[in-house]
Amino acid sequence: MRALHSNVSARRGAGNERPSSTVIARITARKSGRAGVGWGVVFGLYVATQAFAFATSYKTPAARHLLVVEFAHNTGISALVGPANNIGTVPGFTAWKCLTVLAIIGAVWGILTGTKLTRGEEDAGRWELLLVGPVTRRSAAQQALLGLGAGALALFVSSALITAAVGRSSKVGIGTGAALYFTLAVVSGAIMFLAVGALCGQLATSRRQAAGFASAILGASYALRMVADSGSDLSWLRWVTPLGWIEELQPLTRPRPFALVPITCLVIILAGATVSLAGRRDLGAGTLADRSSLSSIRRLPTSPLGLTLYSSRSTLIAWALSIVAYGLLLGSIAKSGGKIITSSASLRSVFARLGVSGAEAYLGVALLIMSVALAFVAVGQVSAARKEESSGQLDNLLVRPFSRSTWIGERIALGVVVIVVGGLLAGVATWLGAVSDHAHVHLTSMLGAGVNVCVPALVVFGIGVLTLAIVPRFVSVVTYGLLAWFFLIEIVGGAVGVNHWILDLSAFHQMSAAPATPVDWTTNAVMAAIALIAAGLGIELFNLRDLKGE
Amino acid sequence: MTTPAIETFDLRKDFGSTRALIGLNLQVNEGEVVGCLGPNGAGKTTLIRLLLGLIIPTAGRAEIFGLDSRRQTVQAHRRLAYVPGEASLWPTLSGAETLRLLGKVHGHVDEAYQVELIDRFGLDVTKRVRALSKGNRQKLILVAALMTRADVLILDEPTSGLDPLMEQAFRLCVHEAKERGQSVLLSSHILSEVEALCDRIGILRLGELVEMGTMAEMRHLSALTVEATFEGSVPDVTNVAGVSMVDVQGTRVRCQVRGSIEPLLSVFASSGVVELLSREPSLEELFLSHYGSPTSEVASASPAQ
Repeated sequence: MRALHSNVSARRGAGNERPSSTVIARITARKSGRAGVGWGVVFGLYVATQAFAFATSYKTPAARHLLVVEFAHNTGISALVGPANNIGTVPGFTAWKCLTVLAIIGAVWGILTGTKLTRGEEDAGRWELLLVGPVTRRSAAQQALLGLGAGALALFVSSALITAAVGRSSKVGIGTGAALYFTLAVVSGAIMFLAVGALCGQLATSRRQAAGFASAILGASYALRMVADSGSDLSWLRWVTPLGWIEELQPLTRPRPFALVPITCLVIILAGATVSLAGRRDLGAGTLADRSSLSSIRRLPTSPLGLTLYSSRSTLIAWALSIVAYGLLLGSIAKSGGKIITSSASLRSVFARLGVSGAEAYLGVALLIMSVALAFVAVGQVSAARKEESSGQLDNLLVRPFSRSTWIGERIALGVVVIVVGGLLAGVATWLGAVSDHAHVHLTSMLGAGVNVCVPALVVFGIGVLTLAIVPRFVSVVTYGLLAWFFLIEIVGGAVGVNHWILDLSAFHQMSAAPATPVDWTTNAVMAAIALIAAGLGIELFNLRDLKGE
Repeated sequence: MTTPAIETFDLRKDFGSTRALIGLNLQVNEGEVVGCLGPNGAGKTTLIRLLLGLIIPTAGRAEIFGLDSRRQTVQAHRRLAYVPGEASLWPTLSGAETLRLLGKVHGHVDEAYQVELIDRFGLDVTKRVRALSKGNRQKLILVAALMTRADVLILDEPTSGLDPLMEQAFRLCVHEAKERGQSVLLSSHILSEVEALCDRIGILRLGELVEMGTMAEMRHLSALTVEATFEGSVPDVTNVAGVSMVDVQGTRVRCQVRGSIEPLLSVFASSGVVELLSREPSLEELFLSHYGSPTSEVASASPAQ
């Protein structure tokens, strides 16, 4: 004991001792900061890609004029990604292509991070040990919010650095002040929904429920913004939704910093409510009443696979609805998009050589985003399997007559079905959207395109399963890293013209641009075989390792 | 000769450079209740997770009724039920839904006994798991295992979080299981529970089985505690064969004796003894006699525990 005491005293003397009362702030800042920097880089690169793509694809005033004619007053596109102001210029086009998309991605990140680092940590029992010490529940919430603030700052700084650097290019011409204001607008979604996530963590009884509440708020916010931007008399609705406030900031076109007022007020109110509620509720409980008893046994599935499906039904339905909605919107603007593509001399010649034009040419390019979305679904499926293992829930099944191979085999089958159904839904919804706009798109070619966008997701899924079998604790890092790598190579590599050997490393690059080009079944078969071999190896290797917790 | 319910053959498990289990040979016969004792990090949970096939042995093998726990896992699991010290269940399911799911996965449930167990443990199965206390969650896991009437029960700290009344209910269940011919491997820190329930007891230390036998066999190997009161002064017994830990207080002496007690009785008889008490060591004393250096055990804690 004396030795221990002297050891502690020595460390104090060396200045290594930190007050334990700030440990939650430090841990939260470290975790959210790391993720914030990563996503900031992705945001910055996305902005750079869009700015340079416009500068190189729409060089002539005629091409830019056609762009304005087709999109400036297109209510469908306005509802989807916001009004197209000044899109005949590099700053206007960049703001239009990036603001809403990145604000939504940032909001999703905010929800996941805000709930994970507050309610998720509490659910895991990691806060309990600290809360019996000098830290109160209110203080813990304050510290977590400070940590989340550090994450938002990291997101802003890393994104702003790239955007400002890109803006200095003579092709782009965005001033540093404008770049910083634009980045602030882009990350506002993340900042507001970090706070929404933290508050929902106080209202709900679990992290999953908190994420559900926050997602519903984001969905309602997006729906209100869509109505406001649909060209009706309801444009005032933009002022009652957080995503509308971001739009009202109008960066790079007609800046209106006044819209920062409601954004700031919302964050302050949500943070205050979070701290206040944290001090009033019991640890582990939610502020909203929870039905803790059930009067009768529900008719739930009684197989492990059925239970997995039941547990993930909300997430799967949300993904399906998002894919269908996005497919419908994409289809409904395909004709206009096709005209724009054929207005670009370089693209027109490329597609002319392939024998396609119009809507199918546009969809061949635009469906990449569906493939990215399905890859996210794949990552979610592998992560959910890992969560079942690390939480110890899998132990309950594997100590009964239920084999490891059956469990992972069912998980693989479920993942493949979800991805393929998602792809087919994307194809059918896009076709329906195109048909509603009288575009000449065939159902069979869209079904082929739907299968086509599944294949990169299957590659990510197969490698994810293999990672789960070999290094389970690195599943998230490897799968998200792989997805980011594929995406960045395809987007950035294509724009800056990197070596084809590097481009070939991206599954998105290997995917053909169906329906603009025929589906390359040979390449798809090779990619599917890689996925299958990786998943098969995963089944074998999973049987050879210890089950591992967090 | 019948096949043992549980048998391990030179079972070894390493976690990196840490040796969690070193060449363990253990046998639990049909209808037998065997206790497994040891401080934290001794290898108890590692042993149980190896028996269940949740972790892979570095060397050796484990069998459940002759079925290899690694290669014939599913067949072996049809014959066993397991209770962990703390299970991570599905928080949104109610107790009844959890029992139905786990019963379906196991494949066999004695429904009448399930109802009896729910009543015996006073379990409210309408509540969602997330609303249950730790003790009630433990009852749920116990019911889920016992309702299967499996041939072998593997119990790892099964009464963790239970109140004394529920602990009595648990002991009754183990007695009933033994009467029905079921085998039980019980890992516990509650020595009185192990002493009351087990036919044989094994003591693990640093991954090795250092003692295995019935209480009587183990007592025979250990010292007897003797207390004596004298009319006058206490005789010097420190040099008597087999005597140790001599404690003199006034006219009373307490000491421990290994081997024959006869030399000590001769000294007492010639010194005017007026009261003589002797008792066999409790399981606690037996257990503690194996652990002179508790810090070394803590340092050896394996990742599985």
